[in-house]
Amino acid sequence: MTVAEVEPAEGTTGRTWRRGVLLHGRGLLGLVLVTVVVAAGLLAPLIAPFGANEQIEGANLVGPGGAHLLGTDEVNRDIWSRVLFGIRVDLIVVFVAVPVGAVVGIAVGVATTMNGLADTLAQRLFDVVLAFPVLILGIGVTAVMGPGVVTVAVVIALAEVPVFGRLVRTSLLTIRALPYVESSRVMGAGTWWLMRRHMLPNSLEPLTVQLGVSMSVAVFIEGALSFLGLGVRPPDPSLGSLIRDGIRNVWQSPTFVVGPLVVVSMLVLGFLLISQALAAGRRA
Amino acid sequence: MTTPPSVRRRRSTASRVTAALAALAALALVATGCESAVEAQSGGGGDDAAGGEPQSGGVLQVGTTSDLVPAGLFTNSSQTTDVLVGQVYDSLIDYPLDSLDPQPRLATAWETSEDGREVTVDLRDDVTFHDGSDFTSDDVRFSIETWADPTWTVQFQRTAAAVTGFDTSDPNKIVLSFDRPISNLLDLFDVMPIIDEESFDADATGQTYVGTGPFTFESWTPGSKIVLNRNDDYWDGAPYLDGVQINIVPDAQSVVSQLRSGQLDTILGMTNRDAESLGEAGGFTVHPFEGSERHTYVGTNVTNPALKDVRVRQAIALAVDKERIVEEVYRGVGRPISLPWPEYSPAYDAEKDATYSRDVARAKELVAEVGDIPTLPLEYSTALANHEAIAQIVQDNLAEIGIEVTLQPNEQPDHIEKLIGGTFPGLWILDHAYAQYTPSTLAVTAYPFNAEKNSSNFVDDTYKADAVAAWEQVDPSSPEAVEAYAKLSDDLLENLFLIELSTTTFQAVTSNDVHDFTWSKRSEPVLAKTWLSS
Amino acid sequence: MARYLAGRLPSALFVLFAASVLVFAVLRLIPGDPAVTLAGPDASPEAVDAVRAELGLDQPILHQYVAWLGDLVRFDLGRSYVLGVDNASLVRDGLTNTIVLTLAALLVAVLMALALSIGGVLANRRWLEAVLSGFNTIAVALPTFVTGTLLIVLLAVVYRVLPAGGTPPEGFASRPDLAVQYLLMPALCLGLPAGAALTRFLTESLRTQLEAPYVTTAQALGISRRRIVLTQALPNALPSAVTVLGVQVGALLGGAVIVEAVFAWPGLGLLIESGISGRDYPLVQVLMMLSVLVFVVTQLLTDVANAWLDPRIRLGGAAA
Repeated sequence: MTVAEVEPAEGTTGRTWRRGVLLHGRGLLGLVLVTVVVAAGLLAPLIAPFGANEQIEGANLVGPGGAHLLGTDEVNRDIWSRVLFGIRVDLIVVFVAVPVGAVVGIAVGVATTMNGLADTLAQRLFDVVLAFPVLILGIGVTAVMGPGVVTVAVVIALAEVPVFGRLVRTSLLTIRALPYVESSRVMGAGTWWLMRRHMLPNSLEPLTVQLGVSMSVAVFIEGALSFLGLGVRPPDPSLGSLIRDGIRNVWQSPTFVVGPLVVVSMLVLGFLLISQALAAGRRA
Repeated sequence: MTTPPSVRRRRSTASRVTAALAALAALALVATGCESAVEAQSGGGGDDAAGGEPQSGGVLQVGTTSDLVPAGLFTNSSQTTDVLVGQVYDSLIDYPLDSLDPQPRLATAWETSEDGREVTVDLRDDVTFHDGSDFTSDDVRFSIETWADPTWTVQFQRTAAAVTGFDTSDPNKIVLSFDRPISNLLDLFDVMPIIDEESFDADATGQTYVGTGPFTFESWTPGSKIVLNRNDDYWDGAPYLDGVQINIVPDAQSVVSQLRSGQLDTILGMTNRDAESLGEAGGFTVHPFEGSERHTYVGTNVTNPALKDVRVRQAIALAVDKERIVEEVYRGVGRPISLPWPEYSPAYDAEKDATYSRDVARAKELVAEVGDIPTLPLEYSTALANHEAIAQIVQDNLAEIGIEVTLQPNEQPDHIEKLIGGTFPGLWILDHAYAQYTPSTLAVTAYPFNAEKNSSNFVDDTYKADAVAAWEQVDPSSPEAVEAYAKLSDDLLENLFLIELSTTTFQAVTSNDVHDFTWSKRSEPVLAKTWLSS
Repeated sequence: MARYLAGRLPSALFVLFAASVLVFAVLRLIPGDPAVTLAGPDASPEAVDAVRAELGLDQPILHQYVAWLGDLVRFDLGRSYVLGVDNASLVRDGLTNTIVLTLAALLVAVLMALALSIGGVLANRRWLEAVLSGFNTIAVALPTFVTGTLLIVLLAVVYRVLPAGGTPPEGFASRPDLAVQYLLMPALCLGLPAGAALTRFLTESLRTQLEAPYVTTAQALGISRRRIVLTQALPNALPSAVTVLGVQVGALLGGAVIVEAVFAWPGLGLLIESGISGRDYPLVQVLMMLSVLVFVVTQLLTDVANAWLDPRIRLGGAAA
């Protein structure tokens, strides 16, 4: 149909990605940071000198250096190995929980935006979830489900649903009002066709930007929940629980907290830089 | 034509920015110059005058990690309560820290009749409550009756309830009568604070606490602080301190920082690791509450099919590295044990106490005899600072002999609920106290040990009979009593429904400006003679 | 304006109602029996039953909900199970402390955002931009619970400049000079991430404004960059910044849970945490409802502020 030629929606995202992330110094830096951390997490079994939960006789709160790059913790485990394995929990949170929340949010958003009553209902429900600050939501959910990786993932996914639902709604409404979409509608294009052909591809950009932000926030939420003792169950490590252990031992082993803190900052920073670059690429 | 309005607008925005910057600068100025809040808050300071003459004055700033729970006032449920009860109330007698030889306090003398069914207690006649009313035998009666009331759920409730008659005709003497002899009445006299009948309803809600102790209750701000003032009319001489302020600092790391920064003088509730490094830092003194032992144990639900076989429980007891727990978690404050009795207890037997010393090879043999053991849950309370590390060590030790456990952290209320109901499905870790009192006390009252109904769901007629036999011994140090306690010890070791790991104690850390800080057998800090140097 | 506000009210009330159902239902799903907790470790079953009846926990669940909602509407907030004190007085004390802390944090955030974004845009130097953006990103990337502890170690223990925590002993009003010192660290910790987010947003909008045609015209007329930024770009960028600020208030309330714990600041965050771990249903219910109420009111205020600052939104918003 003729309408299709008005604006080739496909490829916009690809271009943004290249222009924003790869060519932009900021985006490249972000990508490198995230890749390094992800690779370290995936390769943990190969590169970690000790097991994540391996207790080494006599090595109680040893300082960094020698056999233990970052030292050992209060139950004689190698911190460097625990950091490597701990990344994996955050990878689950970032690459499973956030996308799941995003997909559910987008699905709800798409399904309800075009229907007045359903739209109002969905928006109000989003309001209800958003009305609880994430940490308070987290404390409540953990109280019911008990602490653990699954609980952290559920909290994060739950918190992301309204964020993406709102976002997809806004961009759908904006795009619907654009002249070329308006004109295809006038020319008799069906709602679902429009949605598939124009509206969804075009709303992908803001959604990708938000995905980056959400992923960095997810690393934080994991950390904060673990700090409050609501994160992964011992003995398994996560970046947040390692920071908590580091803070607890700040007087005995001041360097303990540095390792996990650097990795968390790398992840948060990496995702932020990527999403900033995407946003900048979009405007350029 | 366009200039005047835009100039005006520019000025207003610019002036707002300037004002903001000025505010920032003012903030910085306040933070650096003027009066410092740090100086204003530290009562003490200067060099330690250890061993010098006691000085009057100053408010002792105490930091604890939990808030007051009025309903748990008499259950030793938190260290905040311990500080409050220890300063505001007096007990009838005091046990010294290293023995069970009772010393007078509000009671000056006590005598048991020939048949053991009547006890006469002489009381001090120079004591008044904080509200001005006199302390009389009627207050002792009211205190015992309150203690016997199940709503307060106190230790020794059964002992208080065993009192069947009160003679209070002489205000300075009370005669208690019983249907049968009771062995641990003096334990009750040590533990029970004397309360005032008229004001007690207010105690129950946290509005006021009226006792006869060295400090009077001024106020409680939930989540923040409790303020106590000096009792100038204290019968044992007014304390040196003007007052005590209990500051509630929920984060265990922050409470340490506040002590290090000089904002607090004394802290409770930190991990043993933190206490140790404060001791090494200089300027601080660590006080392990010796004589008021607590015992860390692994509980087992003996109705769990995997734990039914005593050999599995023995394997666990032999596998756990108790020495390591004492050294690395409790930092040397405590010792590995197989039985709960402290060294000064008439029930103590060094040989028996070493029954389950670590023997991994033997533990593996036992596991091999039994065969496959399914994965078991090991639960612990998040409220106890040292227990997460202990749980992880136990888990590692058990994995070594082929018993897999999964760790489950519980909130304290849930943990206690399971303890009371006996609903832990597998293994759990907790501390118990009260082994520092008359040995029979444990087997007739404490939840993990109670022969009638215990957290392990362990039911055994021999154990029940031995528990009652021990309780009926009037003189805890007589040869008959020692023999009864030995039987009890054998029951515990043979059946092993509860696996003792280590003794430990609460600890306090004080700055070196704090002098003559002591504690009681009830784990309460005692501040009546404490003073601050400045 | 009144009609605009009236249009928003039904949905705000719906959110409050739905949240009340949710809060009530979720708290009943939490394992652990408050009656057992309260009765203590050595209570007999009879004692536990007595406590349960006293708390009304033996009533049917719907009955409990309706009774609770009725009390709430009449501002009867009930009594804390665990602390044994009226929730109203707990909330009042906690709220005061949290409001003071949150306002101080907002002040930090706004001052930081204004100074950094205007400064950055005015200076218009690439290196300065890079430094500011770097600082900003790091401020976002550092978790509050780490900055809090490190600040305390540095400024209260190593250099004894500021108090390590707690609220000023003589209150906020009687000695403001001391109060500021108690507030400085927690407010900085809480406000820094919000400030960084706001700075980023404001810088972006200022830049976008500077690319608008009217700016080109003004520049062609020879008006200085500083004047354009302060008189034209800033006022135009403010409405959307207010929206972002509104969202940040929610984030601040969440962040307060951690900052209050680290700095022993007896506010609502601490109260809700201890309430949940103590299974103190009535207190937690009230606090959760309060946080929802704050969110709803903040949203309304943000909408109103926006409508006031920008008539287009008012007209457009009414249609949506």
